[in-house]
Amino acid sequence: MDVEGKGEESRTTTTRRFALPVDSENKSTTFRLFSVAKPHMRAFHLSWFQFFCCFVSTFAAPPLLPVIRENLNLTATDIGNAGIASVSGSVFARLVMGTACDLFGPRLASAALTLSTAPAVYFTSGIKSPIGFIMVRFFAGFSLATFVSTQFWMSSMFSGPVVGSANGIAAGWGNLGGGATQLIMPLVFSVIRQMGATKFTAWRIAFFIPGLFQTFSAFAVLLFGQDLPDGDYWAMHKSGEKEKDEVGKVITHGIRNYRGWITALAYGYCFGVELTIDNIIAEYFFDRFHLNLNTAGIIAASFGLANFFARPGGGILSDLMARRFGMRGRLWSWWIIQTLGGVLCASLGQIDSLTGSIVVMLIFSVFVQASCGLTFGVVPFISRRSLGVISGMTGAGGNVGAVLTQLIFFKGSTYSRETGITLMGIMSIACSLPICLIYFPQWGGMFCGPSSKKVTEEEYYLAEWSTKEKEKNLHLASQKFAENSVSERGRATTHPQS
Amino acid sequence: MAVQTFLFASLIIFSSIESNHGATEVSLFTNLENSLEVTAKPTRVGVVWEAGKDIVRITWMLKSSAKVNDDAAFKTVEVKLCYAPISQVDRPWRKTHNELSRDRSCPHKIVSKPYDKIPQSLNWTVDRETPTGTYFIRAYGTDVNGYEVAYGQSSDAEKTTNLFSVEGISGRHTSLDIASICFSVFSFGSLLVFLVKEKRKAKLQQRK
Repeated sequence: MDVEGKGEESRTTTTRRFALPVDSENKSTTFRLFSVAKPHMRAFHLSWFQFFCCFVSTFAAPPLLPVIRENLNLTATDIGNAGIASVSGSVFARLVMGTACDLFGPRLASAALTLSTAPAVYFTSGIKSPIGFIMVRFFAGFSLATFVSTQFWMSSMFSGPVVGSANGIAAGWGNLGGGATQLIMPLVFSVIRQMGATKFTAWRIAFFIPGLFQTFSAFAVLLFGQDLPDGDYWAMHKSGEKEKDEVGKVITHGIRNYRGWITALAYGYCFGVELTIDNIIAEYFFDRFHLNLNTAGIIAASFGLANFFARPGGGILSDLMARRFGMRGRLWSWWIIQTLGGVLCASLGQIDSLTGSIVVMLIFSVFVQASCGLTFGVVPFISRRSLGVISGMTGAGGNVGAVLTQLIFFKGSTYSRETGITLMGIMSIACSLPICLIYFPQWGGMFCGPSSKKVTEEEYYLAEWSTKEKEKNLHLASQKFAENSVSERGRATTHPQS
Repeated sequence: MAVQTFLFASLIIFSSIESNHGATEVSLFTNLENSLEVTAKPTRVGVVWEAGKDIVRITWMLKSSAKVNDDAAFKTVEVKLCYAPISQVDRPWRKTHNELSRDRSCPHKIVSKPYDKIPQSLNWTVDRETPTGTYFIRAYGTDVNGYEVAYGQSSDAEKTTNLFSVEGISGRHTSLDIASICFSVFSFGSLLVFLVKEKRKAKLQQRK
């Protein structure tokens, strides 16, 4: 699959040659899915696979709950709390990961997190109480922060015209883990049982599989990956090619950019909705339609498996819209798709028939996951200096949305499950409205064109650097990025500076 | 195009899944006669039973107060282990339901034997995979078609007397704990090794 961009092919100042055409930052301007060429496509495959393994581990418990809850004598409250714990750990982790990527590079940051959360997965085999269960789900859930490193890495390797696609496919195939695990874990469990273990031992042994996959995916990232097209952060720090930035400044510029807060809120109501559904949908079908656990599990899996094409589809759509309409196209398509997702969610709760519910759920899954892809078509352009912080804030916002939604609508018996789903849909629609407020002076927003003051991309991105810093030439990467981001003006000839 | 095919295929597949509504004959618990007398006597009294170890002597027979020919319909007796209310609290997957096909309070089958007019008994070892909980024993008398027509239980109607507790196996093994520790150390250790190697590589690059 080839996604072509409009980047220029330029000669690099060094003698490096790349398998794919690159822009002036050596970011690839095309996306070739079936290639593993160093460094761009290799980074893609390593990062999505590592993220996939982390998702499998984080959601490994839900499909085996019928066995685990008997073994540990869990109550419904314990299970609900563990579900909230599994997504709340990574709120903090995603924020930190953003800064870590800015400072140490995505390769080391993600592999360090993956290797340090693998023990939580291994120790799941030894838990003996509800508290133990909640704790291992909490700590294993930290690994979902590898989402931020995936997006950061793709944004570092792929140029504007294809970054939405790269981000969308990498994240989508990672999120796939949440669906795949609902099929993998029961399968591993039954194989182990057939080998003679009792069911209370078999589920414990089963957890070593996601743990080992997580560990080895991290090894692959460390051994075969590279932070930037030109090399690794550490090597480049030392050789002077990449300057180390000040943590405080990076964080401040990130937090002060209001757009990051809007993307965080909006992402909370597409990705947050997706995570909530991952935790409750099997139970919903099981209880409301009296299906058996295996059937409910297959339905639950199909929601997550739609990520294979739905989220990438969102990213690709974002890039397609940008080609014609620039950033304004990205914003419009994001808002429309996410709002429609909210409408479908609200209707899902109202449907009484099984077939109707499944059909609406599948369509809903496509829209909500595409919204996630569309979000990260916009995020790479919000800041260059604080890309990691913005990605981290947005990613964390996704999890905060999941925690809030589960706390308000899905804990205890205040609302029935179906009412909770409808209310979640309505909240999605409301929290997607702020997208209308995102405005880039150089490109415009949903309802306004670019600023009449004729702000350039350079002015926008270099505003993050002080005059002193510019004198030290610390801003050169942002400069290059600004030049390449001119493609976000779109093809329309009405842009004042075209 | 791929999306449409996927949605269409899913629609076909899921349309063929039928839920369990509309069975022609619906057995309701409230329609059953309490005509069986069931007793459960453990070999060890006054302690929590251990799954896989303790033995219970279960007996069942037609109640002396039952009318003549009450047992005419019985073909088989199914003896089951049922959850006491305390083990059902905050656990909707163990909910009692009047419609017996939907009832989830008696999931553990002990034995199924053809009905005999004389009292029957069984020395039953608590199944190894029985979860921790509080239980009582119930026997259903089923007819030729497998539908329940009568029942009896070792506890009273409110399920408050003659309950017993079972301690399930933990499923944990020392070997698993050791394996967890080894793999965790391996994960952390290899991370440190990689970080040290990276630092060294960077220093070498600097010297170049």
